[in-house]
Amino acid sequence: MLELKTVNTSYDFLQILWDVSLNVDDGEFVALIGPNGAGKTTTLRTIAGLLSPKSGEVLFKGRSIGALPAHEVSRMGISYISEELNLFTDMSVRENLLLGAYAVNDRKQELETLDFVYHLFPRLKEREKQLSGTMSGGERKMLAIARGMMSNPELLLVDEPSLGLAPHLTHDVFRALLELRQRGVTILLVEQNVNATLEITDRAYILEHGRIAMEGPSKEMKANEHVRNAYLGI
Amino acid sequence: MERTVIERSFQDRLSIFLRGNLPAVVVIGFSIVLAIFIAIETGPSQIANIIVTGGMWALLAAGLALVFGVMNIPHFAHGESFMVGAYVGYFVFTPISNYLKDNPNAVLSFIAPVVGVIAAAIVGAIMGAVIERLVFAPLRKRTRAGWVMNTFLLTVGLSFVLVYGTTLIIGPNFRGIPRYYDVPPIDFLGMRVAVDRIFAFVIAIITIAALTYFMQKTRTGRAIRAVSQDETGAQLVGINLGFIHTLTFALATAMAAMAGAALLFMFQAYPTVGLKPLYLSWYVVMMVGLGNVYGAIIGGFIVALLQTATQQFFGISWDLVVPTALMILILILVPSGIFGSEVKGIQEQ
Repeated sequence: MLELKTVNTSYDFLQILWDVSLNVDDGEFVALIGPNGAGKTTTLRTIAGLLSPKSGEVLFKGRSIGALPAHEVSRMGISYISEELNLFTDMSVRENLLLGAYAVNDRKQELETLDFVYHLFPRLKEREKQLSGTMSGGERKMLAIARGMMSNPELLLVDEPSLGLAPHLTHDVFRALLELRQRGVTILLVEQNVNATLEITDRAYILEHGRIAMEGPSKEMKANEHVRNAYLGI
Repeated sequence: MERTVIERSFQDRLSIFLRGNLPAVVVIGFSIVLAIFIAIETGPSQIANIIVTGGMWALLAAGLALVFGVMNIPHFAHGESFMVGAYVGYFVFTPISNYLKDNPNAVLSFIAPVVGVIAAAIVGAIMGAVIERLVFAPLRKRTRAGWVMNTFLLTVGLSFVLVYGTTLIIGPNFRGIPRYYDVPPIDFLGMRVAVDRIFAFVIAIITIAALTYFMQKTRTGRAIRAVSQDETGAQLVGINLGFIHTLTFALATAMAAMAGAALLFMFQAYPTVGLKPLYLSWYVVMMVGLGNVYGAIIGGFIVALLQTATQQFFGISWDLVVPTALMILILILVPSGIFGSEVKGIQEQ
């Protein structure tokens, strides 16, 4: 479904990604892990169209999307839930969600998806009228994921959903991701919480210094010596 | 989990509200007192005057607030949109009015001014869209560094180009009309109000209501607010920034042009007619907080009130002094404006 071929990305003169290649198949739940500053967020921003790669190719369902602006990438069925969430803070929860379905022209489908995300996150239904800027960190994260779901994406890019959350809220967020995956959504997850991530994902890539250092099934990764030493602290 | 419910009496709530919105309460309270004083002192017809010009400043200032809030452009060529609207109103209305002299027709004379204002809105929208595509979109593509300063200088330059371009092509002459509706004033609640003023007020109210509905209830309006609150978030949900920017600029220019056409009977059309409306609408947005569209609508009426009060009690040439003094006071005491600013973009850049 998604394929990156030797992608190089830089901010002005500072190159972050060096020949990054990875692929995510239909329905897969793939993790991208690595230390701070390795380029995980840059990888997601490149896929989402917020950055364009200097060289290399980004293919989505066989189409090259590397040069497309972010709004067109979003309309193709890729939803990026950024680390800073980018919510519309002076709007209500409902308005945020309806904007998530901005590119959906079918009003009936929009309301169906709204029901679905309210079912997934009942808390958001309770807070329907509240301004998103006044909600707690966990609620905002749920809202961001829910907003990302509103466009019925085929591929969900999730950046550090557990960051700054209490353990039980992290658990809720991961459970929501698993439920989405069961409904057939393909997910590429960037996470700091390596242990839990390897527990729930199918495959994992390890990004170090802007290069893919390792890849493999999550179970094998968990047993790998380098991963155990560097990321699991065992 | 147990929740403690804090019982608050009405008085407590009121005092909390008043303290939270103190600057707004002070300014609005003062304005109401001033309006009542003017009504008692000079008769209610001045109030009609305030409401009419206030509606027009509201149209201009709402456009200014929109452009600043969504695109972070301090728009100093907004007066020229007013000017273009005045010219369009003149060139559309005058031929119809000449034709009507020979062929009186009640229906046509009723709709002629409306045609002028609608023509101004259309020309304004096209002009706004063209300017955005030709001037701001290329700059945005090139660099976002120093955006506010660069666009400020660009709009000032644009204002010169439009003023002197108009002088070159149309000439510096004043072109005005004696009145839109050639009928005696109407008595309304003890006020004698010229029909032209009622016309201008109705235009303002309809436009403000339409703008509010558009911004709050429609998908595109919601997208405009989304862009003003979080550009990246807007892109991520599939909003085309370029389209929203062009639309916003066209909308703001169209509203200013409508004001220019609707006030033709007061201002006439000449190349620098936009200067005073520009200043006054900037007073409004600074007073209420940059980028606050609904605040700008209320602020429009407050500035019109101050202007009228100054004209009444100090003399007509003083009418910019009091709003300016008030603006200085507000910038010193509450720099983010009496209703607070909603602009997020500035800090991000």
